[in-house]
Amino acid sequence: MITASIGPALSLSGLRKSFGHNEVLRGIDLSARDGDVISMIGASGSGKSTLLRCIPMLEIPDAGTIAVGEDSLSPKGGRLTRTEDAIARRMRGHLGFVFQNFNLWPHRTVLENVIEAPLFVQGRSRAEAVDEALALLEKVGLAEKRDAWPAHLSGGQQQRVAIARALAQHPRAILFDEPTSALDPELVGEVLKVIRRLAEEGRTMLIVTHEMGFAREVSSRVVFLHQGRIEEDGTPAEVFGAPKSERARAFLASHFDRNR
Amino acid sequence: MDLTFISGMFQKILTGLPLTLNLWLLSLAGGACLALTLNLMRQNRIGNAIAATYVFVFRGTPLLIQIFMIYYGLAGFGFIRQSFLWPFLRDPYWCGLLALILNDAAYSSEILRGGLRAVPKGAVEAGRVSGMGRATILRRITLPIATRQALPAYSNEVISMLKATALVSTITLMDMTGIARAAISETWRAVEILLCAAVIYLVISMLVTRASAWLEQRLSPWQFGRTTP
Amino acid sequence: MGDIGLLGFGPDGWGLVLFRAGLMTLAVSVAAFLCGLVLGTLVAWARVGGNRVMRALAEAYTVVLRGVPDILVIYLFYFGGRQVVAAIGTALGFAGPFDISGFVAGMLAIGLISGASQSEVLRGAYQAVPRGTIEAGRVVGMGRFTLFRRVIAPQAMVTALPAMGNQWQSVIKESALVSVTGLVETMRQVSVAAGTTQEHFLFYAAGAVIYLIITTLSDQVFRLAERRSLRGHQGAGY
Ligand SMILES: Nc1ncnc2c1ncn2[C@@H]1O[C@H](COP(=O)(O)OP(=O)(O)OP(=O)(O)O)[C@@H](O)[C@H]1O
Ligand SMILES: [Mg+2]
Repeated sequence: MITASIGPALSLSGLRKSFGHNEVLRGIDLSARDGDVISMIGASGSGKSTLLRCIPMLEIPDAGTIAVGEDSLSPKGGRLTRTEDAIARRMRGHLGFVFQNFNLWPHRTVLENVIEAPLFVQGRSRAEAVDEALALLEKVGLAEKRDAWPAHLSGGQQQRVAIARALAQHPRAILFDEPTSALDPELVGEVLKVIRRLAEEGRTMLIVTHEMGFAREVSSRVVFLHQGRIEEDGTPAEVFGAPKSERARAFLASHFDRNR
Repeated sequence: MDLTFISGMFQKILTGLPLTLNLWLLSLAGGACLALTLNLMRQNRIGNAIAATYVFVFRGTPLLIQIFMIYYGLAGFGFIRQSFLWPFLRDPYWCGLLALILNDAAYSSEILRGGLRAVPKGAVEAGRVSGMGRATILRRITLPIATRQALPAYSNEVISMLKATALVSTITLMDMTGIARAAISETWRAVEILLCAAVIYLVISMLVTRASAWLEQRLSPWQFGRTTP
Repeated sequence: MGDIGLLGFGPDGWGLVLFRAGLMTLAVSVAAFLCGLVLGTLVAWARVGGNRVMRALAEAYTVVLRGVPDILVIYLFYFGGRQVVAAIGTALGFAGPFDISGFVAGMLAIGLISGASQSEVLRGAYQAVPRGTIEAGRVVGMGRFTLFRRVIAPQAMVTALPAMGNQWQSVIKESALVSVTGLVETMRQVSVAAGTTQEHFLFYAAGAVIYLIITTLSDQVFRLAERRSLRGHQGAGY
């Protein structure tokens, strides 16, 4: 299922992004090999979402290079040229993105949400797309909901559909932006369970999360972001067990106090 | 009540039905195209200013004055009388149709704009991250959601336009209202004649209301609690 | 292109005449809007609180007025009004000819049209009043009237105001149709001027500008009112 090839699945270098005078990302270098599960933690406003959104060019970085598989882009001046836009679309085709608020298409059923991009972006055949989508829905435990409308699902179910939709991209890497933050506490578990399964399968994932226990358990690496810079980067044991920077220590202390 | 008079009058007024329907449907079609164009124009600043001014002028003035302006006003310009447009612009039918299209576009474009604003930003982003281009996003996500959102308001506009076609009778066109008006000056039995005409318009507009309620349910099942498409 | 001087206020200009016509548009619009407000309130009340017959009548009224062209309604009032007046006049033994004023016919016709949509707005606004606040009024012992005046109306007005602004705008534009009765308001006056001077474009454009001025100014007024009503709302401690 995973097409291993030479070079990292995903790599960012020198990434910078400002909103007006607010410098949100101040030079980010990060790369993920196939099979890496990287959790990104950090205080609110530290730039985690912005970093994640830069990868598929939902936000266009001011400087730096983003590479997904064989494609890479170094946009200048906060906008994409026409050729860059074509490359960006190809890169998106190799990524899956799971939003905090699910962002399912309200006018399409569960199944239609999953087959939309395969049909209308990748031009696969309907029969093939449907077969695969049903398998994916089975995997996230929602096969029986194939004809339901998103509005009729619980948050946890919607997020699992969104994960199936991301998987239908055949992504080289999947990006999660706080996938459980919009959920009621009792629904968090079902989504984490699905993500854990994906980790076990050896999927490449970059996960922004506040679920420290989960991050510690599934990640191969944890990065701590502070004011637009990566302050810690190591195995879960290193980052959670013996954080090098004062700020990471303070963040973790307050977080474990508050949440556990 | 004079039943023979009334049934004769119904038949007479109904001869204007084709023209009424013609103006109504063509002005809706033309207005919809122009409304979509106006909304697409709004993506840059100059286009936005033009579209906003257009809407301001056409929604801020009565349709009647727009009709007269086109039918009587444009004829005052020598260059228009010399141009290839003149054969059209001297004809009350084309003038009436043009005025209706321009007027409908202003209202419809605002309705569509409201619908577009109601499209969740996340739905568009989800389209972008799955690799869709602008055109695909417009066709598969934005427009379907926007039009369904705008349907109730638009069905009111459709009925408004049916009623608006009656105004072309003021520039000599013999639509249903034009025929009724002529019959009044012949017979002076205004009340019966006007009620006949009113009934026909009413029936059509009630059919539209029914149809749009049905369409709304069909197109937006996710808002009506049905789980199968 | 015509002589702009024609629009001046001097002895040869149409300025003063057009100004008066603009005031007439305003007058007939205000009268019609108020008619519509009274009617709309009654009808909304019938639909919300009336018995079955009243509800059915009120609903039929809104359906009919929604589906019939405004100009037919105006003709109906104008010609029909004449017929009625003539019938009464003849019955009372007066000699003709009989006529009714375009102002009255226009005011009633447009009031009737506007009343239908105003009733929808008011009904919607009433339904948007949180049930809890009404119950809160009940439990402190307010009667129906006090409840309406102190609790329902103030809240409903805030919701209704923007939509009522739109109703007013429609009334202004519909008032142009009253010109078919011969009432000398803006539309009628610019047609006369255009015919007399043969400067059609100039005068219809001038007419359009008059309407734009009226609609824009009243839009500002409604916005101001909206802001004030909202301020009061917050001030009341919500
Ligand atoms: N579109 C935008 N326009 C302007 N400022 C923005 C925009 N998006 C994010 N920001 C700002 O960038 C900074 C970083 O935001 P970001 O959403 O990346 O933080 P985050 O780490 O994801 O926080 P959280 O944990 O709350 O989600 C914040 O100060 C935010 O206000
Ligand atoms: Mg975030």
